[in-house]
Order: sequence, then structure tokens, then C-alpha cells
Amino acid sequence: MSILIKSDTKVLVLGITGKSGKLQTKIMRNYGTQIVAGVTPGKGGMEVEGVPVYNFVSEAVQKHQIDVAISFVPPRFSKDSCLEVIESNIKFFVITAEGIPDHDVVDILQYGNLKGTKILGPGSAGLIAPGKCKLGAHPPQMYLEGNVGIVSKSGALSYEIGKTLTESDIGQSAVVAIGGGPLWGLKQTDILPMFEDDCETRIIVMLGEIGGTMEEEAAEVIKNRIKKPVISLIVGKSAPKGKSLGHAGAIIEGNLGTVESKVTALKKAGALIAEDSLDIVRLIKQIEG
Amino acid sequence: MKLYEFQGKKIFEKYGIPIQSGEIVYPEQKLKHLSPPLVLKAQVLTGGRGKAGGIKLWDGSQDIKEIIEQLFNLEIKKEKVRALLALKSVDILKEHYLSITFNKSKSTPVLISGITGGIDIEKSAQQDKNQVYFTEFNSLLGILDFQIRFIADKLEIENYFEFKKIVLAMYQIFKDYDATLVEINPLALTPEGLVAVDSKVELDKQASFRHQELYQELKEEVNLITGDELNNYEDVEDTITYVPLSGDIGLVSDGAGTGLLTLDLLSKYKGKVANFCELGGITSPEIVYKALNKVHQDPHVKSVLVVLIGGFNRMDEMAEGIVKFYQESRKHIPLFIRMCGTKEEEGKKIMRDANIAIDDSLHDAVKKAVKKAMEN
Repeated sequence: MSILIKSDTKVLVLGITGKSGKLQTKIMRNYGTQIVAGVTPGKGGMEVEGVPVYNFVSEAVQKHQIDVAISFVPPRFSKDSCLEVIESNIKFFVITAEGIPDHDVVDILQYGNLKGTKILGPGSAGLIAPGKCKLGAHPPQMYLEGNVGIVSKSGALSYEIGKTLTESDIGQSAVVAIGGGPLWGLKQTDILPMFEDDCETRIIVMLGEIGGTMEEEAAEVIKNRIKKPVISLIVGKSAPKGKSLGHAGAIIEGNLGTVESKVTALKKAGALIAEDSLDIVRLIKQIEG
Repeated sequence: MKLYEFQGKKIFEKYGIPIQSGEIVYPEQKLKHLSPPLVLKAQVLTGGRGKAGGIKLWDGSQDIKEIIEQLFNLEIKKEKVRALLALKSVDILKEHYLSITFNKSKSTPVLISGITGGIDIEKSAQQDKNQVYFTEFNSLLGILDFQIRFIADKLEIENYFEFKKIVLAMYQIFKDYDATLVEINPLALTPEGLVAVDSKVELDKQASFRHQELYQELKEEVNLITGDELNNYEDVEDTITYVPLSGDIGLVSDGAGTGLLTLDLLSKYKGKVANFCELGGITSPEIVYKALNKVHQDPHVKSVLVVLIGGFNRMDEMAEGIVKFYQESRKHIPLFIRMCGTKEEEGKKIMRDANIAIDDSLHDAVKKAVKKAMEN
């Protein structure tokens, strides 16, 4: 078992006929991901990389057993296609598009919530369970099967740390990118307990960045729910200070959001703090003795 | 994207939210019809206007021209004052705070209401939790009647139907305009009823594709004030983020997370960053070409570091853009490139064929870029 996906997970790809959808479908299939169907309105009847394409999600669901979906649909058409997936009762769904209007994202997430669909994204690079299944853009050569679970906001940072660990022969159970925000379906706080309950994961790496309050919320979850060792890297300590927030933002966030506040909260919760990418390797070796 | 007070109020008026009557005053404008008492308010996008002296009352005892001149000479947090709003002054019996925005950590819209409004709303929110209420609601259902009744009760609103009309109008604006913030601070109780004394509206630029006429109109209004100086209306198709800083190393990255990690590593190895350019979600050979051009325009740049790790982003396309820039560019600032990820082999081949060296390790590339900048 891994978290969220396994080696026999059946996948539906939305936007499979686009440039990015086509390429990513090919890379996922080469990795062994079982892609059973694709959807692009108006392109029903086509085949992409040997995968049959349908006009509607409901048609694909009728013809195939589908466990999860991933969307490569551009931001301005995302709301409709995402609601179509949720309406079809698919229970896990990755949204890769960045730049979907906030109102659309909130509608998608709230409808998903109502129907019990777990959503990773928007703006997510997806996830990889090395050696089992790849649902998204994680470059296969950067990962190795193993026991470290990685959760990151940024996709690129989750590739970077995967690469760094793999080069030191440290394998991963799953590597999840939740997206850069500011609105999220599954968050660090949702993924951490999944790793805690996953028997293949021994050490958890949480990658965060400046801004928002998610790392502070994750610290609460680590304190109350997680017994496995957690290593955290928060990037952006040397980034220039952002512009002042408006009234509404300032009220919600108070003084939270700086690297200092995140590191303090995480340390207090018992997480080990890595200074940079290589420092994560050192800490893992230290834990494993 | 922030709107000016007068722009927000125009929307309020359209949706039936009561505002004071008034007009816009530009510099060098001949004044007519102005009679005391008037409130003169500097039109700026930054907060803290009241504390910076950007709001003045004219009671008729002074020459209004002097007040206007004072306001136009103000600079509020580096923002010049280029227009005023002259409003009929109202008697305020009570002030509240009201806004609709997103609670980002819960991914829901939220109605925020304060028993007292005014300039210290953040402070009162932190000091006394019973002063400010956060009412989250489902975006598919909208704000529910009982939620408005609850807030009206806490705020001790006398005329519930008047209050409800304002809250629902704010929600309608929030939705119709793809706003990320609709704020009234203060919402004043006057002898004539509730009045929105200020407006703060922020729009989601990601949704500009479905509001093209509105954006054109807003752009024309802002140009009238600033004479095309504000770059608030950049081409939205361009996803590049560019942050100028004060060092001597140019940095291009294809992801915000690795970009931030690289900034930290540069600082660890004692490098100073001149500018930071993140390629954003939609990449192509043209985008990386454009980014390289942008970082090279800074005369202080002594070395350039390009950090690429592609998932969606294709290294063959990145290589194509870098090679094109390298061959066309006349000034040869040392370039350090770390390239890996999707279509890595194809990308590396293009670079080899063009005789451009690349690194595989992020730490190595960072150290080389810092060393070169220190030598030059």
C-alpha cells in the first residue's frame, strides 16, 4: 500500500488531447500507471497513446472502472470539467491547472467536500508512489522506492528533494505536491496523517515555504497526531519581505507566515528542522542511525 | 487587483449600497459647486491613509484650495496622490466593520464583521475576540438569512432589512465581479441610515478573461489619474514573476519552491541576488528567452544562475530558448545552468551541441555563480 494510489489504480485523464496532457499521459503509461480512459469534449472516439477518448466523464465511467482522475484542462475551462468529475462520483482527483479563478476553485472544493471527493490541487504536480504508480508530473528518474514520505506545497521542490534523496540512495514511499495555493483541496494537515497510517512510511519530510499559515496548522497536527519522525524544510528565509496586507488579510493571518514563526511552531511540535536540501539527507541518516 | 475608493463606490452605488454624494477632484481642476462641510479624501491604493493625513475635513473656515494643495503634496507610503474624492460630510452615530473575502485556510468565503469599525480594526480583532465575527458560508448556497440575523444581532443593528440589503449586495458584488475582497470600513450609522463611508474592493486578475469590458473601463479610469504610469494592468497571459533586488547575481527558476530554496542557498554561500525571475505555470522557449533578457538588463548583474527542474516544464523547450538567447545576446555575462527533469536528455543534447556547459547539482551551480560574481 501507499497513500492515495497503488500499483493497480485505474486512472482517467481529463484534457488528454492537449499538448501537456498527451506528453504526461505517455510518461505516466511508460512508468506503469494504468490509464484506462481520457476525456476531451468534442474529441470522443479518438485514441491517445492507445487510450480511448470520450466526450463526457459519465461515458468513460460507464465503460471503465475508474478509481481516480487527473486533469490537464486549462484554467478557464477547469470549473466545468472539475464539477463533471465530482458529479460522476470519482473519489480522488488531481487538478494540475494553475491560475483558476478563486471563485471557481472555492466552488469546486466545496462541491467536492459535499460529494466526498478528495481533491489534490489546484496547481498540483500530483504525486508519485515510486515503483508503483505515478499520477502527475513527477520526473520518474528522480525517485526510488523506499520509506520516506514527502509532502510539499511546490511541485518543483518535491522533485528537487526526491532527486537529492535518491542520489543518496534514500527511497520514498510517496511524494505528494499539494500545489502553491493560496487555495487547496488536500493540505499538509491532511497528508501527514495518511503517512502516519501508512505502513510503508517510516520518516515524513514536510516541505513548506513562507506565507500563509498552513505550516503552523501542520505543527498542531504533528504535535497531536504524528508519532513518526518529521523533518521539515521551510524555504524563503532570505526572500524579500512582501507588501503589507490589506485589512481582511491582516485580520485572518495576524503575525503568522514568516519562516521564524513556522520554524518555531514546528520545533515546538517536535519536528526536526533542515537548513537546506542536503541537510534533509543528514537528518534522515541521523534518525536511521 | 485593488480598486480605488471611487471605483469601488461606483460599484456600490450600482448595487444599491448607500454612499455619500460627491465628486472626483483632479489637480489643476477648476472648482465649482463645492460647499462646506466636505470631506476630502486622497485616492490611493495603499492602506493607512487616514493615519498619514490623507483625509481632511473642510468646514468652510479655510480656503479649500489650501487643503486640496496639501493633499496633492502628500505621498502616502511612496504613493503620490493624483486624485481626491470630495464627499458630503455625514454625522456618524456608530461605526461598524464589514467585509467579504476568502478564508484561504478553509477554502470558504467568509463574512467578517466588527462591532466597531475604523482604522484600528486589526488591533481590536487581536485584542478582543468578541469584537470581530468570522462567519464562513458555503459558496454554493451563499450567505444564509440566519447568518445575517446573527451578525445584525451582535452588531446591535436597528434596521435589519436595511442591513441585510447591504450584506446581500456586497455578496452579489463579490460574485459578479470575481472579487477577492469587498470591504466597507466603516459602515456608518447616520441619522439618514447606514452609509458606506469607505470602499475597498479587490478583483481576481485570474478571472479577467470573463470581465474584459470591466477591465478596459477600469484601465481608462486609472490612466486618467496616473497617465499610464501604473503597471497594474500588465498582460495577464504573461506568468513571469520578476522581483528586482540589490545584489549582483541574476536568478531564473522554473518553480517558486526551488526559486526560494535557491535564494536561501545563494545567501548561505554569501552570494547577493540582483533579481529573481520565476517562469510561472506556462513555460515555453519564448518565456525563458524573455526571462533571460529581463535579468540581463540589470547593469549590476555579474553572473546569471538558471535553475530548471521540469515536471510539466520541458527541458528541450528550455534549452531551445537559452541557446537562442545565448547566440543572439551581445554581452556575455557568465551563465550557470542546472537542468534536469522532463525531456532532460533532449535538453542536454541541445545544450551540448551549442557548447553551453550545464550542471546537474544545484549546490554546485550555486557555488559557481557566487564565485564568478565575486571575481568580476
